[in-house]
Amino acid sequence: MSYRIPMGPYHPALEEPYKLNLICEGERVRDAELRVGFNFRGIEYLAERRNFIQVIALMERVCGICSNVHTLSVCQALERLAEIEPPPRALYIRVIIAELERLHSHILWAGIAGKVMGFKTMFMTCFLLREKVMEALEIISGNRVNYAMNRVGGVNRDIADPNSVLAVVDFLEREVNRVIIPVFASNRTLLERCAGVGVLTQKQAKAYGVVGPVARASGLPQDIRRAAPYAAYGEMKFEIPVETGGDVRARLLVRALETVESCRILRQALTSLPEGDWWGPTEEVEVPAGTAISRVEGPRGEVLYSVTADGENDTPRRVKVRTPTYINMPSIRLMMQGARLADAPLIQASIDPCYSCTDR
Amino acid sequence: MSDISTIPADLGLAEEWQSLNGSQWLAPESLDVRRMVSAMLARGARFITITAMQLPEDEATRLDYHWDLDGQVLTFTIKTADKVVPSICDLCPAADWIEREVHEYFAVEFEGRQYEPLLLREGESVGVLVPEEDA
Repeated sequence: MSYRIPMGPYHPALEEPYKLNLICEGERVRDAELRVGFNFRGIEYLAERRNFIQVIALMERVCGICSNVHTLSVCQALERLAEIEPPPRALYIRVIIAELERLHSHILWAGIAGKVMGFKTMFMTCFLLREKVMEALEIISGNRVNYAMNRVGGVNRDIADPNSVLAVVDFLEREVNRVIIPVFASNRTLLERCAGVGVLTQKQAKAYGVVGPVARASGLPQDIRRAAPYAAYGEMKFEIPVETGGDVRARLLVRALETVESCRILRQALTSLPEGDWWGPTEEVEVPAGTAISRVEGPRGEVLYSVTADGENDTPRRVKVRTPTYINMPSIRLMMQGARLADAPLIQASIDPCYSCTDR
Repeated sequence: MSDISTIPADLGLAEEWQSLNGSQWLAPESLDVRRMVSAMLARGARFITITAMQLPEDEATRLDYHWDLDGQVLTFTIKTADKVVPSICDLCPAADWIEREVHEYFAVEFEGRQYEPLLLREGESVGVLVPEEDA
């Protein structure tokens, strides 16, 4: 006999609104139904009623964790429409902010994953490390969350003292290699809890079009930074960690290894920051009619913006956002089928879902 | 990098790709959407999303189907005046939530599928992004 367990709308692990109806037989989950939309704010509707500059600020509010990828994506789309190439220093600064954002997002998630597994020491260790990244972001931008770094054709602030950020990168790289990687790669308790749990096969991952660490943990080596380089990523050397297990452990490990690669990218960008201006055009930018697509590899995967202008008004005709969690989340249903009921919160959390991004 | 030049001919289209603002666009007079999906999946392309937009000039709805093929964004654009297009989610599960969102935002009907509320709640009117004068 099957029975239904409603979980949510408040997430048992991440304290965000989202609902899952679990259809169970005994302790096993037979199927799952997902409900989102509790955070629906109509941001795409609002974007059609703001001018291009206001749209950048609006889109920064799509997500509190990966706010920078949204402003970067929308600025890149507007730059393509207006045929503006930002100065090299601005492109490097964009890489630095994007990688700091990836670091704080991945370390935050590692801490949350530790908490969900009852590994509170890991939670506290990760949050201590993350705090260093947040401090670096605050020193650069003046803000811990919405950095307001991107503008059309450049960035709003310079990184005047790259060495101070480099010191943070050195510390993080050392601590990630000393604590996080060994724990996620070989801790017995953690492996027991995660190995073989919430499996998404490569075939399923492909069919559902999943992106980012979820795809890479299922053996798909896709990363927009490599496949379609933007900002200064074409000049950076880095590996794309790929695991083939498709389980929660693989997703943990991919993100942990990505933090090391982020440190590697940051070191390159900070030590070879080009001289010159970083602000781009100072006069008002004219946005001609047309549609431009922009993609960025956010911490959770590919973000796509499609921006359409009519060339007459200073408001966009359409701003479409496809966030990574939006395309990743339906795959939770597959991960849940056959899982133990007790693993349901961990499996949901393992895609690093962002409900604000999903609902917009 | 895959050769995309043969895709229009494979789909029986006379039009060719246009390079616009950094990505490739194909806007045929008419398009068999399901055939396009099968052809793109057979080439190993990854479905990204659909961008929908209301066109005030001819009261049609524009749908842009975005794909990734070896890092290139390929977009097929169609227009629908009656807001009815075939569903592709049986061929491409990645399109399920995307079609549901387009349905809720622009009241487009995807033929051959059932809907459950996604971002809106049960009983709420669909078409929340259709400009008021067109609603």
